[in-house]
Amino acid sequence: MKQLTLYVDKQSFVHAVDPITKLFYVAFAILTSMLVPTAYAGVICALLSLSLLCLAKVIKNASPVFLFIGFVLFTVVVIQGLFGVNNQTEAFRLSGLIFYREGLITGAKIILRVVNIVSAFLILTLTTKASDLVEDLVRAGLSPRIGYVITSVFQIIPQMISSADIIMDAQRSRGMETEGGLMVRMKAFIPLIGPVVLDSFMSTKERAMALEARAFSAPNKKTFLRERPAYTYAAKLRGAFVVLTLAALIWRLAA
Amino acid sequence: MISVSGLHFSYDGKTEVLSDINLDIDRRSTAIIGQNGVGKTTFIKILKGLLRPASGKVTILGEDVTQKSAAQWASVIGLVFQNPNDQIFKKTVLEETLFGPLNIKMTPKAARKRAMEALSAVGLADKTDVNPYDLNLSDKKLLCIASVLAMNTRIVIFDEPTIAQDWQGLERIKAIINSLKAQGKLIMTIVHDIDFVAECFERTVVFNEGKVLLDGDTADVFAHVDVLRQARVSQPHIAQLAELAGLRRVCLTEDEFVRAFKDYAFIQ
Repeated sequence: MKQLTLYVDKQSFVHAVDPITKLFYVAFAILTSMLVPTAYAGVICALLSLSLLCLAKVIKNASPVFLFIGFVLFTVVVIQGLFGVNNQTEAFRLSGLIFYREGLITGAKIILRVVNIVSAFLILTLTTKASDLVEDLVRAGLSPRIGYVITSVFQIIPQMISSADIIMDAQRSRGMETEGGLMVRMKAFIPLIGPVVLDSFMSTKERAMALEARAFSAPNKKTFLRERPAYTYAAKLRGAFVVLTLAALIWRLAA
Repeated sequence: MISVSGLHFSYDGKTEVLSDINLDIDRRSTAIIGQNGVGKTTFIKILKGLLRPASGKVTILGEDVTQKSAAQWASVIGLVFQNPNDQIFKKTVLEETLFGPLNIKMTPKAARKRAMEALSAVGLADKTDVNPYDLNLSDKKLLCIASVLAMNTRIVIFDEPTIAQDWQGLERIKAIINSLKAQGKLIMTIVHDIDFVAECFERTVVFNEGKVLLDGDTADVFAHVDVLRQARVSQPHIAQLAELAGLRRVCLTEDEFVRAFKDYAFIQ
């Protein structure tokens, strides 16, 4: 069964950083780029995130995401450049279309913010196992119930995809055509979705009972299978991210 | 009825799940056995047109299996899936049974007649208006069998038919298989219940690591104890008992065992 994860198993210092510190970095990179009134902060944060992706040896895995958002952002710049609300100063003409300076600058700012958000989150998702993140969050005080909900989503979605494939085969075996035009595919939808949904309801119930049978709701403090050594610079890095974010906030308030 | 030559298959293009399978499946009821993960279900899915071979040729009744879609093959080959929850979606037992026959363009009258016959065969004729999800697992499985029987296909394949069946359900399935055999249909199964194979199937094919390890009459196949061990498959219990009793014949049923035992006692 395919796994629902973007994690890339590589050896790098970024991989070695604990998931909570990476979460602090994500918050820092996004908030700072938004709070600091100059565009330079956004550029620095984006460059920092992209550098970290390179150092983590996952930039190749990140490139399809950037290609996709690149296409979306290109359309945003074009629309802003042509029809932005504050457009006044003509920047250039292309095939009779007038692009305005104000709109292009707004588009560039949007690009910077999106690249910042995406690259910061990619650092987290490409270098951290979802299970490690959830386990660290539970260690840090997150409710095990919420932790389980998050982890189970990563398991249930691939499971549903796999069971949808089997159900599709079972209905095709009974003569249901699934290949063809829109109407054929729409007709195939109900015989497919019914068993998938009911199956997942039933397995949710079974899963809940199986969890309870293994003391999931026991009120005592849980132990963890793995004792991961604490990341040496976790406290210093987290402190630095908090201080820098607060500094950005003060700068913003003072500006 | 089914011819397989030089069949290879891989899901990822690297690891071969099936490797150089050559089989000529005649009218004899045929069981495919072997450990989990040796390619039995994959093989059956290829026969049904649900998967396409990487190389090699599969013909059914002389026609290349890849020339039609699985839905088009549905009027020729019926496949009962292992897990009933993978196919049930209608509101009543009767509607569920009618789904296949109506898909293969049977007239509503003929479909209803076939559906009722199939439901009678599996013992669910009195539950036509029941919601399938209110049935127990054994009856759900029997409903899935009925929904394929109602399509009146020339070939019927059962994937693990004995799962979740009590003695009564098992006897019913044996009766269905014998009745289908009597109608001249080709019956195939993938199953781990070796005693069931010994009792109901004339031919047995043993799969191991994506290849055919043994193929022949069921009694002959179960005589090769060492080869079976290689595929981690045991003999039927009655055959093991016969061996322990010192009988030289491979027994597949209680009757065969009693006869062999009497002959043995007489000689002694």
